[in-house]
Amino acid sequence: MEAIEHPPIFRLPGIPDHVTYTWLVMIILAAVAFIASRNLQLVPRGAQNFLEVVLEQFNQMIDDVMGHEGRRYLPLLATLGLFILTGNLMSLVPGLAGPTSNLNTTAACAIIVFCAYHWIGARKQGLLPYLKHFSGPVPLPLKPLMFVIEVISHLARPLSLTLRLFGNMVGGHILLAVIFLLMGLDGLLGWALSGSPAGIVIGGIGSAVTIVFTVGFLYPLKILVAFLQAFIFVMLTMLYISGAIEEGEHHPEHH
Amino acid sequence: MRRSLILGILAVLTVPTAAMAAEGGTGGWIGPFAVIAAGIGMAIAAGLCGLGQGRAVASAVDAMARQPGAAARIQTAMIIGLALIESLAIYTLVIALILLFVKGINFS
Repeated sequence: MEAIEHPPIFRLPGIPDHVTYTWLVMIILAAVAFIASRNLQLVPRGAQNFLEVVLEQFNQMIDDVMGHEGRRYLPLLATLGLFILTGNLMSLVPGLAGPTSNLNTTAACAIIVFCAYHWIGARKQGLLPYLKHFSGPVPLPLKPLMFVIEVISHLARPLSLTLRLFGNMVGGHILLAVIFLLMGLDGLLGWALSGSPAGIVIGGIGSAVTIVFTVGFLYPLKILVAFLQAFIFVMLTMLYISGAIEEGEHHPEHH
Repeated sequence: MRRSLILGILAVLTVPTAAMAAEGGTGGWIGPFAVIAAGIGMAIAAGLCGLGQGRAVASAVDAMARQPGAAARIQTAMIIGLALIESLAIYTLVIALILLFVKGINFS
């Protein structure tokens, strides 16, 4: 992918780009949190107000999906969501690299989710009952088969979380990179500047159309995808956690 | 007719192999086929993913029109379902990226 994508402006020698920019995301988030919470007031203003609105949205989402019990897991969910959202949006800024468009970052997030929901489930209902519920409500001879199938499906969850985020981000970047390559000095723009009459007409119109298309359509789409992927990651995490908690409740007919 | 078509396709597919072999064959012969496979696979995946997402969105919009009160919940479920459907196409995209960009695979 280095063949078509421009490397980011700021690079530390010897350190991969996604690590550098993960630290940048962490610094941004910590700075925003520090500035917002430095001078807490009962009637919030400015940065505190903004962060309270954001966290209130998270709380409302958790209430909708997991019920009021789920507010215990707000730190995990909100941290994941804000980190992924900031990473996704940062990869849209020209000259910066996005940490979430590297497989290692998304795999780290997905493995954290995987360990967290198993830990939460096993703590909530004990290790043996939690394992027992993997085999499901089937007759005894089928239980080993169901257990194996269920384990495989649980192992597929972090894989799909990883690849979904990574694939969406990288797919968008390759799209943008190819379009910029077509538009740039090697492509339409270079043809327009070359001086030949056909080049000036076709290349000029083509590069103008490409710029309008990119700025007017592709960038809004990528911003939407950035928000949507962060939302989906957090939403699936919530579903997994609530599944791990509720599997052990022996009254499925509540309400 | 059909046999000649198949033979033609096979001939077209063999051209890069022959060209590679003529050049000395240092690059291995799977490389050009990997590009073709990435393109065709991504096309099939994108088309079928579009069909599936279209069905899902059609049902969701239908349900939202019947019950506007439940629109928010239906929308959340629809977005989750769309993400799960889309991830199947994303798997193909990742495979295509591996075929196109990863040099570590021993294409020989």
